[in-house]
Amino acid sequence: MSDKSTRKTWTQPWSYREGTIVTVAILLLGFVIQAAAAGIVLRVAAFPWNLVAGLIFLALLISTFVIWQKHPVIKWLGGVKAALPAILGFTFLVLLMGFVKQDVESKSALVRTLGLTHLVKTWPFILINLYLMILLGAVTLKRLSPFTMKNAGFFLNHFGLFVVLFSTALGSSDMRQATMNCYENEIEHNGLDVSGKPIEFPFEIKLLNFNIDEFRPKVTIVDNQSGQIVEQKGKVQYEVLDRNALDLYNYQLEVEQFLGTSGKVGEAYVSSNEPGSAPSAKVKMTNKDDGTIISGWICSGSYANHSEALKLSDQYSLVMLPAEPRKFSSELSIQTESGKQVTTTIEVNRPFHIDGWTIYQLSYNTEMGRWSDLSVLELVCDPWLPVVYFGIFLMMGGAAFLFITGKPKNGGTDYVA
Amino acid sequence: MWLDFPIYASVAILCWLAASGLFLSSGKKMMNQLAAGLSFAGTAFLLVFIIILWQHIQRPPMRTLGETRLWYAIFMSGIGLISYLRWKFKWLVSYSLGLAMVFLIINLQHPETYDKTLMPALQSPWFIPHVIVYIFAYAMLGASSLVAFRNLFFAPTDKIVKGPIQMADNLVYLGFSFLTLGLLFGALWAKEAWGHYWTWDPKETWAFITWMFYLVYIHYRFRHPSEHKRAMGVLAVAFVVLLICWFGVNYLPSAQNSVHVYSE
Repeated sequence: MSDKSTRKTWTQPWSYREGTIVTVAILLLGFVIQAAAAGIVLRVAAFPWNLVAGLIFLALLISTFVIWQKHPVIKWLGGVKAALPAILGFTFLVLLMGFVKQDVESKSALVRTLGLTHLVKTWPFILINLYLMILLGAVTLKRLSPFTMKNAGFFLNHFGLFVVLFSTALGSSDMRQATMNCYENEIEHNGLDVSGKPIEFPFEIKLLNFNIDEFRPKVTIVDNQSGQIVEQKGKVQYEVLDRNALDLYNYQLEVEQFLGTSGKVGEAYVSSNEPGSAPSAKVKMTNKDDGTIISGWICSGSYANHSEALKLSDQYSLVMLPAEPRKFSSELSIQTESGKQVTTTIEVNRPFHIDGWTIYQLSYNTEMGRWSDLSVLELVCDPWLPVVYFGIFLMMGGAAFLFITGKPKNGGTDYVA
Repeated sequence: MWLDFPIYASVAILCWLAASGLFLSSGKKMMNQLAAGLSFAGTAFLLVFIIILWQHIQRPPMRTLGETRLWYAIFMSGIGLISYLRWKFKWLVSYSLGLAMVFLIINLQHPETYDKTLMPALQSPWFIPHVIVYIFAYAMLGASSLVAFRNLFFAPTDKIVKGPIQMADNLVYLGFSFLTLGLLFGALWAKEAWGHYWTWDPKETWAFITWMFYLVYIHYRFRHPSEHKRAMGVLAVAFVVLLICWFGVNYLPSAQNSVHVYSE
């Protein structure tokens, strides 16, 4: 974005040219520090130092604004001409994240030096965030007076985003996250954080029961040679075995018997509750082209039992795929240091909150499926969350304002410096 | 194949083709009313289909790409019609019906099953509001981009009429408010499901990039209400980014481990 005027750079009033220079300088500086520091990034210290740093930042921002609010640079900081290049600069970094796979080790020395595979944890990302916070702070303060209804939506959007950026930046060092492997009827005290360090909690957890509810398994037709699912244009590739008759490719499939958990006895399957027993079905397949009928058992198999396919021809076979989980849940008994004893059931999307921690159902032994005796829990402690949510709710209010009031009349030129 | 989908889709497409033809060819009021009625009928047919589908698969039909395309076709045609009733631009309703038809035809060529399985992470009260709000935003922003494409490629002269741009602004403001809500709903849901509201997963990253591009448009229009051509350029590019976020992410090598690409 260029200026049409022949104004010299850095003479007032500043415009997009200065905005672009500042943004590019911040990005370049960020990448230079990143390369020079060999990947070492300044992290905000944990409580209370992050709070102190945040308060100092706010005090500096507010006092600078109050003292110099008439200064053209401060006005410029609160305007679109500084904001647009900054937004584009930030977008540039996020676009890099969109194209370069993140959180992997790169072979390229350049990518490693610039931290392109871990952009969120690099200097340019941190610096541009800081710059955006300064701009958002300046524009919020600028628009605080006069505080009219017209300005309310504007305030909610900008201040809301400021609060979200501010609290996530400061709160990141106070957030603790760990996974815990719980086996049925065993008591666990510790979890492991992302780097594999043990983390202790103010409670111990005993897994009373792990439970999986499964969907009916799917059936499909595979090529005997390759073992691959047969693809046929315009036809669906699999069906869920939840009804007694269905069409699959050019076959009519009829279910004569379905067993949710079963084991093989002789040539047939019978209901069974042994660990490792798997779903099976006796089916009749009618070829719609020539009317031939083939019937027999299919079984999805498990970690303990073989699967069974039904050979339809020299070329094709009918197979049953492993059942997918509908719901998995863990019944937990939690004993806290403060003496509380709670029994609760958690599942995906239904975490449990206790003593500042939230316990999530994460995973299980997927190989063993419904017979898993392992439940993997995730535990998160995020003390700054209420502040982040406050920002998110402000932004939701701002979005509602955008919806109701729409675009300001005459663009926004009435308000711009 | 979704049972009877080809029938519903064909009826909708026929209604919309007839509506577009009438809108573009005739200037008579009666014909325009008939066209509006036909365009509504097409949308209504699809609504009926999606309700039947919803009951049949016993879960919200919002999991697969094909299902989201179906919602998009419904919203897109509906928004086109409502914009017509509000602003009387006949080309916009024809363009939106055209775009809706493209999505239906893609669905006809990529048949899907009545797949009833729904992974546990998607079983949440957030699922429906998150997807509906998002697809609605996509449709609003898609309609606004039609204005941009018309102005960039089909406008008769260099002079761009003010009216359509004001409509584009209105669509963007509405669309952007929904986009923001969808993004924030997603964050609140992610916290409930995975323990963190934002993890820079590839889909999240692209959703954020999309948000940023519309943010650029809004700020640019805000500061330069009369620089139309450049604003239209931003709006056109923003829609391309939106499409990458919606479909393209599935094909990006950087996104192969994303936790929430739509299943095919």
